[in-house]
This record gives sequence, structure tokens and C-alpha cells, in this order.
Amino acid sequence: MIILGIETSCDETSLVILKANKAKIDLKALTISSQTKLHAPWGGVVPELAARQHTENIIPLLQETLAKAKIKPAQIDLITVTQGPGLITALQVGVETAKTLSAAWQKPILGVNHIAGHLVSPFLSSSRWTLANKKTTWPAIALVVSGGHTEIYLMRSLNNWKLLGKTLDDAVGEAFDKVARMLNLPYPGGPQVAKLAQQGDAKYFDLPRPLLKKPGYDFSFSGLKTAVLYTLQKYKPVARGEELVANICASFQQAAIDVLIGKTLKAAVEFKARTIIVGGGVSANQKLRQQFQKIVKEKMPKVNLLFPDLKFTGDNAAMVALAGAVQNNFKVPKKLINNWQHMQANANWELWDD
Amino acid sequence: MNKKLKTQNNIITKNSKATENLGQLMAKELNGGETLALLGNLGAGKTTFLKGLAKGLGIKQTITSPTFVLIKVYPVKKKNIKQLVHVDCYRLPALELMAIGLNDYLNDPHTIVAIEWANKIKLPPKTIAIKFLHHKNPNQRTITWSKKFNKKVY
Repeated sequence: MIILGIETSCDETSLVILKANKAKIDLKALTISSQTKLHAPWGGVVPELAARQHTENIIPLLQETLAKAKIKPAQIDLITVTQGPGLITALQVGVETAKTLSAAWQKPILGVNHIAGHLVSPFLSSSRWTLANKKTTWPAIALVVSGGHTEIYLMRSLNNWKLLGKTLDDAVGEAFDKVARMLNLPYPGGPQVAKLAQQGDAKYFDLPRPLLKKPGYDFSFSGLKTAVLYTLQKYKPVARGEELVANICASFQQAAIDVLIGKTLKAAVEFKARTIIVGGGVSANQKLRQQFQKIVKEKMPKVNLLFPDLKFTGDNAAMVALAGAVQNNFKVPKKLINNWQHMQANANWELWDD
Repeated sequence: MNKKLKTQNNIITKNSKATENLGQLMAKELNGGETLALLGNLGAGKTTFLKGLAKGLGIKQTITSPTFVLIKVYPVKKKNIKQLVHVDCYRLPALELMAIGLNDYLNDPHTIVAIEWANKIKLPPKTIAIKFLHHKNPNQRTITWSKKFNKKVY
């Protein structure tokens, strides 16, 4: 099956031509155009700017993607596009473009939830794809961690999921971002915190691990955020040198990691998971990966631990295309031909709300 | 507590539950069409307050931080109020309201709009400002609100 994937939910424009079936996946062409530099001087994302940039980028990127894949529109079997969640102005560019292509090319179109993309993102590799279709891979516990989401799902197959828990306040990526802001680190702050943490002592400050010992699978990071703030405020601004900042970053990062790993492992035990999946922007965090690998090897060596390749941790169209393709087990229901007539971008579409 | 709400415009909450309760109480005085500006630094209690406000409006869903999504809309079935729009301008540089699609919601008599980090944008004239300040005691917060709120209560 040949799938055109489109992703414009935030500040990255991405398109893909993915050739896939149950046996094999082949990424024919993937383009990702990031707007991070554009928004950096503003210290945050500007929806108008993002939308305008998506609009400028999308057709040239589409042409580039089709040319790279050596694919003509007639060969496409399915158009998939991120319908939500995300920034409404950005989402609309992708959705309206996809609808137009669907109508013009007479091709079926499917709106995909961005989070479903993160859930399947670890399988975007030949070796891991073979795992996806084995019964012995499932059930899986999937942790999705990004700036906007922190959720745990129980997955019984690639297209079957149930929400076990989520954040009650801040997402973990957001917490990283806000700690960076407190420390006056440049945008985007999350990766900066992880980088400085390498120089720091993770045990220096005793920070809370919210909800870690409580039953259930919900998370809470706003209390951790405030604890970091109070810790920082004990030091006058002039006393906040490199060492202090590194120690705060390391201690905060460790507290966040402890909670994420703790809850995930607990779920893996309760639901007798054969696989643990970690996806979303924060899954690129090297410390998180290392510690997950160590603890799974020690405590549940038979469990598969799957992370996406780094280029698939952030927003990208490949995960969207794959999620769309597996939704109907690589079949294309006839009703999807006219689907463009009913589709609207939905900024607050939660995966667990379906 | 309700009497106090009407006659004074500041309070010290002793912990986050108390901040939440304040939000719940203030919700009772809303009728639809109000715009609330929640002003305060990181960890000052803006979202906590809003959790309480949402509870007071009968919203069952968990109110989470909209920092990355910018706007979240929650359906409401109380009096004439049909929705609560929760906005977060933390990631936005100084902007006009139109740029984030707020115009549709402002001044709609069936909508309550609550904006965190509202100091970054140009607000409509009837906005009720609620300020959250950290206290020497880390659990407490000093919360003040615009006299517009007291006026409308009467």
C-alpha cells in the first residue's frame, strides 16, 4: 500500500511517501521542515507565523517528497493527515491541503490522531516492524511523553489502545520547558536542561516524585515544577552559577525520569506486558532511554523495550502515515473517498476520547 | 467565605486546595460572557484556581495545563453558560487576540474565557483580572481580584 502522510500540527511541516504492508515497510521519502529557528527569537511558537510558514512550505515539500519517492499521485492508495491535536491554525494547513488533494486526485483520505502516530513510531524500522505483527509482542504498555502530552496506554495490537492514565496538570515536556525558563535557558528549553544535567549531580537536590507511590497511572508535574522553583529561589541570582544550574537540571530530570519509569513498569507488571513502548518528543532524552534500558534488563529482561529512532521522536509524517495505514489493517474502506467532505481539523482531539 | 468574596478583593489561601476552593466559589458568581485574566508567575496557582472554577461550573473533565495547546474548550451546562475556554499565553510573544483565534469566544454571552499569562496580550475592556502571588510561606498564595468582580456580584 502506498500512503501519502501529512503532518502540520505544530511548527514542523512534514510529508512522507510510505510503502507498507503487514510484511514490510519502506520509507520512500520523508521531508521535515522545522520552524524552530523562526520562532526562537520570540521565545515561543507564534501560531500566525507557524500557519504562514506551513502554507509556504507545504506544496514545495509535497513536490519534493513525490519526486524523491519517484511516485505519481495516481499510485497513491491513501492520504493520511494529522487531524489533531495541535495548534488549530497549523493543523488547518495540513488538513485543508490533504482534503484538496483527496478531492482533486480522487483518493481516499483518513484523519489521524497525532498521539496515535507517537504510539506506532517505534515500529518505523524494518527490524521492529516484524515485531509489530507477532502475537508474542502484545500486549504492550505505551508511554507517550511530549510537550503537550504525558499518557500511558495499554495496547493489545497496533490499532487497539486503552488509556490507563495521564497527567493531571503539566505534561513532562512542558515541565522541562518551564524549568528551562526559570533558569533563563534559551528556547527550546527542554533539550538544554537535559544537556546541562549531564554536568550535574542528580542526587544533589531532593525533589518530589509526584504520585509515584500512589495507586493508578496518572501523573502530576506541576508540584515538581514548583519544588524546583522554590529550590532555585533559595539562591540569590548572583549565586546561581553553572554548577548550581547543572545540579538543578540533573535533580529535576532524575525526578521526572523516576516517575515515568516507575509508573510504566508498574503497568507492565500489572498487565503482564510483553513490550514497553516509549514515544513522543521527550523519548529522545538519552538519560530516559539509558535508565529504561538498564531497569528493564534487570527487572524484566524478556520484555521488548522499544523507542523510536531519534528522527521519529518529534513530529513527523511517517508515524502519521503508518498509524493511518494500520487503523483499518491496510484496507481502505470505500467511504474514505468522500471523507474530505466531512473532515475538519480538531485542535483538542484526544486519543482517549474516542 | 462567600460574604468575604463580595466585600473584599484579596485573600491569602493557605494551600493549593484552598486556592482551588476559591475558584469554585467564584464560579458561582459567573453568568456567561465574562473574561478572566489570570496573572501570576510560574507555580503561583493560576491553573489550580481554574480547576476549582471548572468544578464550580460542573465540568467533570480534568483541567490540565494548556501551555502547549494554547486553547482548550470545555462544555458546560450551567445557567446560560455553554463552554469554558481556557487559554494560555505562556508560549506566545505579545500578540493580538485575533492571532490565537480568541475573537470568536470573547463577548459571547454563553462562554467564559479564562486566560493565563494574560499580561502578554491585549485584553478586552471588561476583563476581570485575578492576580496570584507567591507568599513567604511556600504553601500559601496571596490572591487579589479586580473590583469589577465585586461590582458584578452586587
